Amino acid sequence: MKRYVIATGTVTYAIKGRDLLRKNGFTVKIERITGDNTLGCGYVLILTGDIEKAEKILKNGGVKILRITAEQ
Amino acid sequence: MIYFDNAATSGHKPQMVINAVNNALKNLSANPGRSGHKAALDAADMVYKTRQKVADFFGAEGAENVVFTQNCTHALNYVIKGVLKRGDHAVVSSLEHNAVMRPLVKTGVNFDVARVFENDEDTVADFEKKLKVNTKLVIMTGASNVTGQILPFEEIAKICKKRGIFFCLDAAQVAGIMPINMQKMHIDYLCAAPHKSLYAPMGIGILICTKPIENTVIEGGTGTSSLEFVQPNTLPEMLESGTLNVPAIAGVSAGIDFVNKIGMEKIYNFETKLLKILYDGLSKNHKIILYTAPPKMHKYAPVLPFNVRGMKSDEANEFFSQNGVALRAGLHCAPTAHKMLGTADFGTLRASFSAFNNENEVISFINLAKKV
Repeated sequence: MKRYVIATGTVTYAIKGRDLLRKNGFTVKIERITGDNTLGCGYVLILTGDIEKAEKILKNGGVKILRITAEQ
Repeated sequence: MIYFDNAATSGHKPQMVINAVNNALKNLSANPGRSGHKAALDAADMVYKTRQKVADFFGAEGAENVVFTQNCTHALNYVIKGVLKRGDHAVVSSLEHNAVMRPLVKTGVNFDVARVFENDEDTVADFEKKLKVNTKLVIMTGASNVTGQILPFEEIAKICKKRGIFFCLDAAQVAGIMPINMQKMHIDYLCAAPHKSLYAPMGIGILICTKPIENTVIEGGTGTSSLEFVQPNTLPEMLESGTLNVPAIAGVSAGIDFVNKIGMEKIYNFETKLLKILYDGLSKNHKIILYTAPPKMHKYAPVLPFNVRGMKSDEANEFFSQNGVALRAGLHCAPTAHKMLGTADFGTLRASFSAFNNENEVISFINLAKKV
């Protein structure tokens, strides 16, 4: 199953995003990544499931998304 | 001790606030927004939930618009210095605290002072008269920390909205005693001192921004975008450089729970009842000078300025302090209010209440004032 990593940049948006996605039935957790040249330090959401739906939920909820990547 | 200095900070904190602070010190001593381990995320979770609670309490859109500052003065500095630029104009009321006046003067922008009258219509009219084409920001207190008078900020915010002027409310004396809904009342920036009528610990302030802040006053580590030397522009982190006061934020959360549990209206009714008893009692004492009209609901916050005839406020305060009563004497960091009262040279005493005061304390104080 594909795992998606959504970079929100800040812990505030990560928690907001996590709560929104959980309310909508997603299994999601927060991790912090370091050493990424594009993020510096930043918080990401890790989830599985319908990424298009997740993205829509986050955007409608006002969560800033920096980047979405898919991992196998 | 009888503590009547609650407009400075609430002297008695609810047990639930003390428990929340203790719990944060024991179990949440990790740095939110800095690390990815469980303890740091638990702390960040609590901080986020408190942001959401604060946003709900003040009718603000989005937890991310809630910024935790060191105090209300810092919050006001962020707005005044972050919004105003050379060539802008601002309007303030004649009852502002130095937390507004000093940063405003420091910006160097032109500003006008709108006079506050006993009659709200006259106050609104004077504000309207002071607005100019280049007025960018109106900053006003919700209630005077000297006279307790509640200002017609909702009407003035409505005028600002119509004219495209940003509106900032200094809610230091009204947060927790009167309902505030930023969205419905068209408040763009709200600055609050939760250690007063929200019963939180000292060392924490609230700033809620629904409009941009262009210049940050303080820059530093935010735990995000760490490769960049330029301050991030995302709220709330852009205004929260450095480590947050997590125990105090836990106290804010519990303080709001406390106010919600009792009911803001019930607290305000009770404190106004004490204010009326005090006013009536002191007005019968020929040694006491009162400066305000008899207190009315929704017209006054639970604050009363007075003096003892023939004594400087500091001298009278010494008498009350020695007899176990905590008041505040002097100018209360609000010289413009004292100029209006005619007390700028000697200040006043000020009594102010919280939910933890009672009628017996007020009656004891009235009796003590007869002996001064």
